[in-house]
Amino acid sequence: MPTLIGQPTPRIDGRAKVTGRASYASDEPVANPAHAFLLTSFIARGRITGFDFAEAKAVPGVLDILTHESVGSEAKPPKQASGGPTTTTMEDDQVWHDGQIIGIVLADTYEAAREAGFRVRVHYAAETPAASFDAAGAERERRDDGEHQDYAIGDAEGALGAAEVTLQAAYATPTQHHNPIELFTTTCAWENGNLTIWEPSQFVYGLRANVAGQLGIPPERVRVISKFVGGAFGSKGGATARTAWIAVAARRLGRPVKLVATRDQGFTIATYRAETRHRIRLGATRDGRLTALVHEGTEVTSRPSRYNVSGNETTARLYACPNILTRVDIVHADRNTPGFMRAPPETPYMFALESAVDELAEKLRLDPIELRRRNDAKTDPVSGLPFAGRRLMACFDEGAARFGWADRNPRAGSMRDGEWLVGLGCASAVYETNIAACAARVSLRPNGTARVEVAGHDIGTGAYTVVAITAADRLGLDASVIDVAMGDTTLPAAPLAAGSSHTASLANAVAAACEMVRDRLARAATTRNAGPLAGRDPGTLRLVDSCLTAPDGVAEPLSDAVSRLSPGVVEAFAENIPDGAPPDAMGKLHAGTNPILRGYKRSDVAAYAFGAQFVEVRVHARTREIRVSRMLGAFAAGNIVNPIAAHSQYMGGMIWGLSAALLEKTELDDSAARYVNDNLSEYHIPVCADVRDVEVMMLPDDDDRANPLGIKGLGEIGIVGMNAAIANAVHHATGRRIRELPIRIEDLL
Amino acid sequence: MRPFAYARAGDTPTALSLSGSKAAYFAGGTTLLDLMKLDVLRPERLVDINALKAEHGSIAADGSGLVLGGLARMSEAAEHPAIARHYPAIRDALVQAASAQLRNMASLAGNLLQRTRCLYFRDRSWHACNKRNPGSGCAAIHGVNRRLAVLGVSEHCIAHYPGDLAVALVALDASLDLVAPDGSTRTLPLEALHRPWGDTPHIETNLAPGELITAIRVPAAPWFRRSLYRKVRDRESYDFALASAAVALDLAPDGTVREARVGLGGLAARPWRAREAEDALRGQRLDEGSAAAAAQAAFAGAVTHGENAFKPELGRRTLVRALLDAAAMET
Amino acid sequence: MHTTMQTILRINGREARLDHDPRITLLDALRERLGLTGTKKGCDQGQCGACTVLIDGRRVLSCFSLVAAVEGEVTTIEGLSGEDGPLHPMQQAFLDRDAYQCGYCTPGQIMSAIACVTEGHAGSPDEIREYMSGNLCRCAAYPKIVEAVQQAAPHMRGETA
Repeated sequence: MPTLIGQPTPRIDGRAKVTGRASYASDEPVANPAHAFLLTSFIARGRITGFDFAEAKAVPGVLDILTHESVGSEAKPPKQASGGPTTTTMEDDQVWHDGQIIGIVLADTYEAAREAGFRVRVHYAAETPAASFDAAGAERERRDDGEHQDYAIGDAEGALGAAEVTLQAAYATPTQHHNPIELFTTTCAWENGNLTIWEPSQFVYGLRANVAGQLGIPPERVRVISKFVGGAFGSKGGATARTAWIAVAARRLGRPVKLVATRDQGFTIATYRAETRHRIRLGATRDGRLTALVHEGTEVTSRPSRYNVSGNETTARLYACPNILTRVDIVHADRNTPGFMRAPPETPYMFALESAVDELAEKLRLDPIELRRRNDAKTDPVSGLPFAGRRLMACFDEGAARFGWADRNPRAGSMRDGEWLVGLGCASAVYETNIAACAARVSLRPNGTARVEVAGHDIGTGAYTVVAITAADRLGLDASVIDVAMGDTTLPAAPLAAGSSHTASLANAVAAACEMVRDRLARAATTRNAGPLAGRDPGTLRLVDSCLTAPDGVAEPLSDAVSRLSPGVVEAFAENIPDGAPPDAMGKLHAGTNPILRGYKRSDVAAYAFGAQFVEVRVHARTREIRVSRMLGAFAAGNIVNPIAAHSQYMGGMIWGLSAALLEKTELDDSAARYVNDNLSEYHIPVCADVRDVEVMMLPDDDDRANPLGIKGLGEIGIVGMNAAIANAVHHATGRRIRELPIRIEDLL
Repeated sequence: MRPFAYARAGDTPTALSLSGSKAAYFAGGTTLLDLMKLDVLRPERLVDINALKAEHGSIAADGSGLVLGGLARMSEAAEHPAIARHYPAIRDALVQAASAQLRNMASLAGNLLQRTRCLYFRDRSWHACNKRNPGSGCAAIHGVNRRLAVLGVSEHCIAHYPGDLAVALVALDASLDLVAPDGSTRTLPLEALHRPWGDTPHIETNLAPGELITAIRVPAAPWFRRSLYRKVRDRESYDFALASAAVALDLAPDGTVREARVGLGGLAARPWRAREAEDALRGQRLDEGSAAAAAQAAFAGAVTHGENAFKPELGRRTLVRALLDAAAMET
Repeated sequence: MHTTMQTILRINGREARLDHDPRITLLDALRERLGLTGTKKGCDQGQCGACTVLIDGRRVLSCFSLVAAVEGEVTTIEGLSGEDGPLHPMQQAFLDRDAYQCGYCTPGQIMSAIACVTEGHAGSPDEIREYMSGNLCRCAAYPKIVEAVQQAAPHMRGETA
């Protein structure tokens, strides 16, 4: 039977996006909103001793100015998805970090609110802040096992001592901010004690539960709407402080309140990827078999939070090695709390490991692909479990052939094109296969159209289309006749759109609801007397081409099958709790916790997607500009629902990697613990001219041990190997091994 | 943004009459509105001079040189056939500046007056900025200063001039036609438009209050055709220069430099004329060695502050590349 | 000082009379006063291009345009095609090429791309890349944006039916 899953399908929301009619949160019309402007702290540590509002309140149109003095008791801090407690904002006079929300100016117009914000004077009792790792006053602690785990397998130290060849190196990655082009916005309106929030979100149920808890009201009284999200990348996954305060503001004014935070405020009122440091030690035999792998990481977080990403949970599992040791330390500084950003654990940690593997290959005089082949793991080195598909070397082989790896002269600095030094590099990519509990409602109409409702999130990933394709496939319809509603807490609960889990979560839930529809239609068609399918085995009937069809081809038009059950629609509501997930997963979801089943925490298999990434860089021989002329990623990431959107996701991930390796760095002023380049002109992300040939290869990888539909997810894996592949290519071009990102002109002068 | 009165001037006398110490001329608005939104600039009156484009918006080139109306847009100059043909350094500088949208908006005179991108200047949460709060100190000197200047700096300010066009123009001996509020006119060499930071970095130019740049004049010279602008930056486009060099050469048939003009960008407090480099080149055959010697001379006075320690070396390499490329140009 | 002024804007073939604070930008007026939310705010500082509109056919940043100073006919994304009618060739090309992901920068990209073609800067992929570099796309759909401009350009020039 032909399946729509895997067929290229243009996005069903494409027309809305190209006509400007896609409604992002701050586009939603509300009646007569007041406009909010955030006051943020000018110190990174200390207390607020007073405000002077005289000038600000004199600005015509100003309605109120909220601070901890006026509303501090009206909301509690949001719960974090990870890492425990976080910094507070307007609850009291404490300042935890620069740019912390300390007040909200409310006015009739944005212009007045902003002006008044500039006219507020704040008095502080400031203390010297600690900005990052090495600052006086920064507190270091070993991360306990809990959310994340250290591994000690075999005797890594002993094996290192005995190794024929060793490699030790330190690596570092910088602070980075997601910088979606959509700003962080929140609009709140109250009606009869019920709160509606329009806010771009990767998890509307999570935001609902969180804000309800912060305000002390039942979640049923809160509705979150987020139909379109203008980029998220992790930044819109967790609840942040602003939302509840805007709700408080709207309640006090008795009027909707709209906040569109400024670009610079976005650096401190939301999360970010904290800077990391790594020490890698590898031991190997002379013929390139790993005998020891030690990966120690250090990560920065805020004072109260223990947030960390512990990507050595992944790097420990990539290669066959009998002796493994990992450790993570966290350093508390006077900073806002970090959070998830695209492939949170792997992006920094795989930079370290995959750079080190390249360094080891050079030391062993082995081709870096061959070194990886000799250490390709047959089972998870940590758990001993089989992989739910592991096509890493197939990705390398097919990718290398297509990329022309064989033409690479292995000697560093040996390839040149005119004024430009040319370098080729590669790296492995890996990302865990996750899935979460999810509910969905499917309504099939007699006219052969259907509606799917699920509170999922299209953050640019093509989720609307994934849902339509899945429903169309299972209902025997065309994707264009499926109407999909998402991004609203009035819809059936869906999990956080993150961790490459959303497609699998949504599609498996929608498929389950469709199966319920099919089953009901089939039972009615086979048990009631009339109709061509009477007496058949209902389990054998399928929905194909707008008909209910038996294996021998006898079919009944959908309109007849539906009408038999209902004059209107046949509706089914399904909750999909993946095998291995806790039985109370749906309850957790409603409580705002993401019930995710991680690919490395399963008892049956180790579920991962794999890829091989190839890069060609050019470095100007004299002035050292670094440009990426070609990128190729070969991925085996389960079944692909929509190759069009999948291609865009892979490509976007790879370009994110280009960006992380060469451009992105949030510059921190150490004395003030303040982000300095908090704008899109000086926080660099690539422009169109930075991106040239990008090729994506999708290898077959059908393994239903991952989940019933065999979907592994792919939003994250595209970035994972890029940092190292680029650093390895820069080394190949120039002979310079750069172990701290981003790699910049000055590193190569 | 602080409140302001908006006034539209239909002609030059009206514009001049509306000017004053609390007023700002508004053309493209790409610097002014940017800094007003950041609360760094607080003019009380905006004098919209866009209608003056009829008077001061034309571009003309003849045997005596090039005249650029102060209100011509950057995109108009970039697309102008005479500039493309005869003034490659000016065209290169224009097309590598900003983005297509910004070039459609920004006036040429306004672009010359583009303000520094020093992030300590642009962010009011820093108290210590001698440019914004005279006498308050400079937080950038010991801070994030990778992009800041190494030439023409003082102990009070290391802000850089971020523009491109002015770097090409200053190399090409451009001068400005100015008109003052009392109607008097004068000519000012572009090189004298920006003041050294010294101990008054808050006073950036030698323009009198209300003085308006009506035209930019570039005199004809034998080195125009052999001119170019090289810009080195992190991104391939839409990025400020880490280092840039405008070079114009008049070479004898044997390759000896009869005359050279060198401007440097992204490296200095103001559009930088590297006369020491020009002097070093004059009479020399242009090759790797003489180019390197000229670059050495250009940065003899460079002062670095930590993160920007790489800039003299990058500046030297950029200038050498520009000189050798210019020498190799087909003219 | 709190003055109000009145400006008549011509947008997408219609006139809109606005009583406004002199400080309001075209971007904020479109979004907050006129219900034309297709034009997006991504930085409000002239750094991202999401607010790009056409004024008399030239692409400009509406975040740096004061309503008071706007002269000429403004075209926004909403002015390119009717509710259910055929799309502008550039809109169609973005749809065909999946030249977006989240879609937030897309209206600005499309307005900029139209101008890129009419300015005569869509002659080669390199030229398109350079002249589309004023519009950031964090999802990084750039290669497909270049393809979309290449697809639409001949249609816009009337070279294809």
